[in-house]
Amino acid sequence: MSIAMECRKLKRTGFLPAVLGVGLLSAMIPVVNMAVRTELYVGRQEPPLQILMEANWQMMAMLNIFLIILAACVLYHTEFADNAVQKMDTLPLNPGSIFISKAIILAAAAAILTVLESAGFAACIFKWFGLPEGCWLELAKNMGYSLAFTLPAVILMLAIGSACRNMWISLGIGVAGLFVVIIIPPDMLAKSGLYMFPFALPFQLIWDADGPGALNLLYAAGAEVLIFVGAEALYLKVRRYFV
Amino acid sequence: MSFFSLVGMEFKKIRRSKIIWVLLLPVILLWIPPVLNADINFTMQTEGISPENNFFIQSFMGFSWFMFPAGMVICTVMLNQTERSNKGILKMLALPVSPAKLALAKFFVLLALAAVQMAFMAALYFPSAAAASSLQDYDFMLSPLEIIRETVVIYLASIPMASVFWLLAVCIETPVFSVGIGLASIVPSVLMLNTKAWFLYPMTYPFFLVTSKMHELASNMGEFTVDIVPWVWAAAIITILCLAGACFRFGQAERR
Repeated sequence: MSIAMECRKLKRTGFLPAVLGVGLLSAMIPVVNMAVRTELYVGRQEPPLQILMEANWQMMAMLNIFLIILAACVLYHTEFADNAVQKMDTLPLNPGSIFISKAIILAAAAAILTVLESAGFAACIFKWFGLPEGCWLELAKNMGYSLAFTLPAVILMLAIGSACRNMWISLGIGVAGLFVVIIIPPDMLAKSGLYMFPFALPFQLIWDADGPGALNLLYAAGAEVLIFVGAEALYLKVRRYFV
Repeated sequence: MSFFSLVGMEFKKIRRSKIIWVLLLPVILLWIPPVLNADINFTMQTEGISPENNFFIQSFMGFSWFMFPAGMVICTVMLNQTERSNKGILKMLALPVSPAKLALAKFFVLLALAAVQMAFMAALYFPSAAAASSLQDYDFMLSPLEIIRETVVIYLASIPMASVFWLLAVCIETPVFSVGIGLASIVPSVLMLNTKAWFLYPMTYPFFLVTSKMHELASNMGEFTVDIVPWVWAAAIITILCLAGACFRFGQAERR
């Protein structure tokens, strides 16, 4: 019931068109890249998906995180815009359940992005690499991992959004977090363990030889989700005494 | 009401917005990795760029590619939302103030905030370079005049971009789309950089200038010069068109 209500709130915010638009844009990236620079990628030794992801994933992941940051800000902006959040607090509704519903919606948005991007990759593999053995399994596995890697960012951004009354503050924190990940050189990210930072995780590819290993990343993502959900629960408890 | 008192009023409105911290925090974070990682600069011999130039140009590159435009987008969100929350815009439009002037005053505030961020970026260069110098036992400091000159040039080149973002913010009322288009337009500026029509894409101007500066400093990276003639014209036309559009559209949705 709560999720349906949250969906209704999003009706005129342009949430769904934005998700679909970013998803399509991001799915276009590998297709356009392959079409323009075919000879650079065809005929290499690696599995096709690895070629495609190494060439395009940086940009696609960046678009994904941009969307998650923006969508999280908007999800809570609708609450803060006309003091709706105060009215919600007077209703027999748990603010935690509102948060969880919003998190499910945002995770679903991330899943939509993943599906659209998978379709883009699949189209490329079909057109230029002729569907090698086991590529569907590989694709499903990789996109599943990358969806899991985006979940910490989903929860963290929603928690930031729920804490900031003004949209530009949460947006600014999110963009600054993403910026830090982008400017730190990759080897420094790997050495310092900062690749586990929620905004850095979605950029990780699971076959990085010197990387930390996909399963460890998965555990890190799971732990981060739990930590951020716990922090948000604590925050909602404390907030009642101040607002 | 004179333009300057309007601008002063706009500054008063954002006094408690905390936007300054949102703009300054990433700049502080930006300088930490290059200082800690300053030894990377000694491995750039193949490009033929000196370590101190590389230290300077790499940080400014990251800044002018991503954080500077993104900071502007965030400022436009703030300028819009302070006015829309509690229907402030309706009260403003009821006053005997021309909406076009109001739009220009807000654009001026946007430019001023961008200038603060840019100035902070340049100001932090000096302590960062000093810290890196003492860590690596090598002089990373460039002459202040050169830093200031480069900063001013990058800033001036960003004005057309600011006007585009302002037009987006004024014309598109749904924040998801105005911010989304603004942020998404930053991503392909790396690609636009290498096309012939780069001067038609204002989001790439500051980044283009820094890249061209890098090619100028690095002896082995080849030519990457700025063609002044089509660029200045394109920039001026884009700026004027966007500002005119923003002035025309400002408050129109509310006055319907």
